[in-house]
Amino acid sequence: MTVNRPSSDTSHLYDGKTVRSSAPSRKKIAGQLGSGSDIPKDAIPEVEIPSFIESLLGGPLVPKTKFLPPAKMVQNLQLGVYGILVALSLMTYMISPAEGTIWYMITGSLGIATIFQLILIATATGTGFWGTFQRDGRFTLISNLLFILAILRFASSKIMLSNDMFGLQDKPFLLSALVVVYAVLLIMYFELTNGVMRYSMLDTSIRTNEVYVMNPQKVVGKYHRSLLINPLIATVLATIVLSANTILPFIVGIFSKDTALRMEESVELISVYGVALGTFFVFCIVGGLFALNLPTHLQNFREKRAED
Amino acid sequence: MWSRKSAMLGSLAIAMYLLGLTLRNSQLVTIAVVIFVFLTWAALFGGHADVAATGRRADEWSGEEGSALNSVSAMRKLSSARIFEDGELNITLRMQNHSSLAKILEVRDRVPEVMRIKDGSNYILMELGPRRETFIEYTVECPLRGFYSLGPVAVRIQDPFGLFHKEKELHVYNDFLVFPKMEDLSDTFVKSRVPKIFTGAVNIRQPGPGSEFYSLREYFEGDSFRAINWSAYARTGKLMVNERERDAVSDIIIIVDSRSVAETGPVSRNALVYSTRAAASLAKFFLSRRDSVGVVVYGDEVASVDRDTGSKQLYVILTKLSGAVARGNIPLQVVVNRILPHINKGSPIIFLSNLEDDPTIVNALRDFRARNFDVTVLTPSSLEFEFDAHRIDRTGYEVMKTERDVLISELRGLGVNIMDWEPDMLLSTALAGARGF
Repeated sequence: MTVNRPSSDTSHLYDGKTVRSSAPSRKKIAGQLGSGSDIPKDAIPEVEIPSFIESLLGGPLVPKTKFLPPAKMVQNLQLGVYGILVALSLMTYMISPAEGTIWYMITGSLGIATIFQLILIATATGTGFWGTFQRDGRFTLISNLLFILAILRFASSKIMLSNDMFGLQDKPFLLSALVVVYAVLLIMYFELTNGVMRYSMLDTSIRTNEVYVMNPQKVVGKYHRSLLINPLIATVLATIVLSANTILPFIVGIFSKDTALRMEESVELISVYGVALGTFFVFCIVGGLFALNLPTHLQNFREKRAED
Repeated sequence: MWSRKSAMLGSLAIAMYLLGLTLRNSQLVTIAVVIFVFLTWAALFGGHADVAATGRRADEWSGEEGSALNSVSAMRKLSSARIFEDGELNITLRMQNHSSLAKILEVRDRVPEVMRIKDGSNYILMELGPRRETFIEYTVECPLRGFYSLGPVAVRIQDPFGLFHKEKELHVYNDFLVFPKMEDLSDTFVKSRVPKIFTGAVNIRQPGPGSEFYSLREYFEGDSFRAINWSAYARTGKLMVNERERDAVSDIIIIVDSRSVAETGPVSRNALVYSTRAAASLAKFFLSRRDSVGVVVYGDEVASVDRDTGSKQLYVILTKLSGAVARGNIPLQVVVNRILPHINKGSPIIFLSNLEDDPTIVNALRDFRARNFDVTVLTPSSLEFEFDAHRIDRTGYEVMKTERDVLISELRGLGVNIMDWEPDMLLSTALAGARGF
């Protein structure tokens, strides 16, 4: 009689069978467990893909980090936005009469178009106020878009005013200057609303130790200076650029007074195409300067001057 | 470089300009021109400067002197090049402005993602005066072992409105090593059965000259009188002598499973993290006993540290363990076949693995046991890590736990000292458990 002695080797138990000597991979099993065959949500790392709008704006519309109460710098910026917003809404109303607006094109009624235009401006102002007060990027963005929509005019026209309380309609230069000032205010509004958000983020980051700022007064001071200087310079330069159709005949006049006179009286040059032509020339020169790497040369010049 | 803001403003201006021309609306053209002018002014005179515009190429940087760009340079100093997990590293970044103009710089020193900034900041906005330098100090906490590199230093200069910016990466890098954390062990219960030719501090399980008691035996001529156990003589009436365990240097082989499956679980709590920490602790303990320790790390290749003694060996082992990356899926049998001819018969072998996805484990460990190696297996349970992280449900956990228990029982049946190492268990407890204490 043969007696099978017990052995510590148990491999004979698995003879002829497929032996899996290990537990299956967790990753593999993760897809097979549970009621369905879905991979558990927490097994997949969280990847936040920004939406189209977010990627366009370079970040989330609603910041994940809640802002801390506004610092004095931010409060001042907010006050600045409120001031500009009032001026901008009044000027938008002045230089965007209902004729030529999209509402007028759709409805054909001046009354309805005026009401729509007023509602649009009021909404843009309201959302601007609220967005700045709450420091909520969504509202300021809506406000910006509404202001752009309010100023869009789908009709051939010269500059027209809905309310000419200063009698500017007969003074083309002042009328152009008014539009230039309006445009500068619009840009400053864009910039300041953006500045409120940027400096709120920066202030929060400073106070939560995410970022360290050395000499914050100097950094902020430079921004303040730019807020004053840049609009002034933009106004002057834009006026010069827009006056190209008068500057060009002046330059031509040095060589030929007759040609200059013909140019001055030319319908093309004093029309919008004249403005466009003048602008084109100016920006061709600017483009050329960029092509010659003027910023670098300017920087080198400034550095050399500082060294002397 | 254009920012998104300036690109949007530019697009708006172009749209208004074209619309104005199409509709012959001078108002739109005027607004567009003002926006163009604003952008042009910012681009020309916005204060963004020469970090990138006239800087030398990145590959021109020269070693310890730091990256010497045209006007801004950076250098970095670390408090140490080697630290242990959870240790802190003090970093000093020196920023220099060689230009004669002040600059407003945004500086971000790139820190590996797993590091935590504990003190100070690696992101600084500053005004750096002409020909000035500044020191930025911050401290990072290093929670995970590995080879790391600090850098590059990203420097950005932009105009006050953030419309245009210039960026440059200063390619200043500092490498450092984070060693696995070590646990102090009082005893590992691992002893060699095979003597080596010269004596040391470690007991092997054979009688011989040593300090630890091994057994009693009858007195023979030539035995030292000092070895006579007088109480045993009184008890038995025969002269009995104490035999002592022979001291010797033993060879210890530590095998670390670094296959890709070893990293299953959260980043800071997985089998590989536990295995490397255990291997480091064990190596330190054995080396302090003047044992000779060798380490084998296998994943996509078999990397080994030859047996040696001394503190230098500890650094070699720690460096190897720091660089262990979860990759590949080499079966244990391949490792065993490769190392078997090179290790002394009977040497203690400590195997650290989660025992997953390798059908050769049983046969490989059987090969060791068949050659009378003293095998200890510590198996950090990936199951527990994943269950704690709520990545598997209760049913799945129970099923896989049963499979794992069956495997552990089977290995125990081969005479392997094995312990299912649960996440909260100390290494010393796991070792004691493996050795049956």
